[in-house]
Amino acid sequence: MNWKKFFIAFIAAFGFIFLFGFLWYGKLMHAAHQEVPTLWRTEADFGNHFSTLVFGHIVMALFLTLLCTRFVPAGGAGPCAMLGLLVALIYAGADMITFAVQPLTTKILWGWIVGDLIQFTIAGAIIGALYKAAPAHVTFVKEGPRQGV
Amino acid sequence: MKRFILAFIAAYIFIFLWGWLLNGVLLKDIYAQTPNLWRSQSEMMSLFHWIIIGQALIVFAFIMIYASGFAGGGVIAGIQLGVLVEIAAIGMRMGFYAVQPIPGKLILYGSVSGIIEMIIVGAIVGAIYKPLAARAS
Repeated sequence: MNWKKFFIAFIAAFGFIFLFGFLWYGKLMHAAHQEVPTLWRTEADFGNHFSTLVFGHIVMALFLTLLCTRFVPAGGAGPCAMLGLLVALIYAGADMITFAVQPLTTKILWGWIVGDLIQFTIAGAIIGALYKAAPAHVTFVKEGPRQGV
Repeated sequence: MKRFILAFIAAYIFIFLWGWLLNGVLLKDIYAQTPNLWRSQSEMMSLFHWIIIGQALIVFAFIMIYASGFAGGGVIAGIQLGVLVEIAAIGMRMGFYAVQPIPGKLILYGSVSGIIEMIIVGAIVGAIYKPLAARAS
């Protein structure tokens, strides 16, 4: 595994997932979330748990990067976007279960599902585009002085 | 395709039973500590089909990922994928914990049981689903 590329891909994935999450779930869906205010922490309480949110995003980005590099060792935006889409389906399934047990609105459910599909497909594409390991058949040999030339 | 369907059915039955045992029986008292976060029993029953669809989607996506990139590795590869998927679930649970006043104990127990659950799901899928090439050899 190319660890330098892995690290760059992981950082980029984390940056995108976190920024997208802030815009989609925090800003665009803010009004929808406020329809069920009892479900959420207060602003101050959320501030106290912000580090958990950041760590959770790090874990998700790490997972997706590990999966992409294991699943598509050669990298490539297309195959990794496809993998991201499959991962998003897992998250969408979890969202549906959450909807069944928590008093969320259908607007929130569909917002979360669409958000997951966009977020993880693009994150997968970013990882695939950045993580492109050198092809296995290419070897780099240091050339020495040729005899008899 | 037949193996895919068999793996799907086996993994789905396990996830369904495990989910019922864990959330419906073992963690019942912890859920009861925060009743304002959960739907009433009757409301949950009226939305039960979402649980069935959600679990089916999780199992379907899991087997699709396994079939596309892990299938040659058998049970060990299935377990590896299960652990990876559970890492993602832990990240998601942490996100929920940051924004919802869910008891920390619920996150901890959910994550520990989730690791066991996904290891078993991975093993089931790895044992049942085999690509054509692996079956031929």
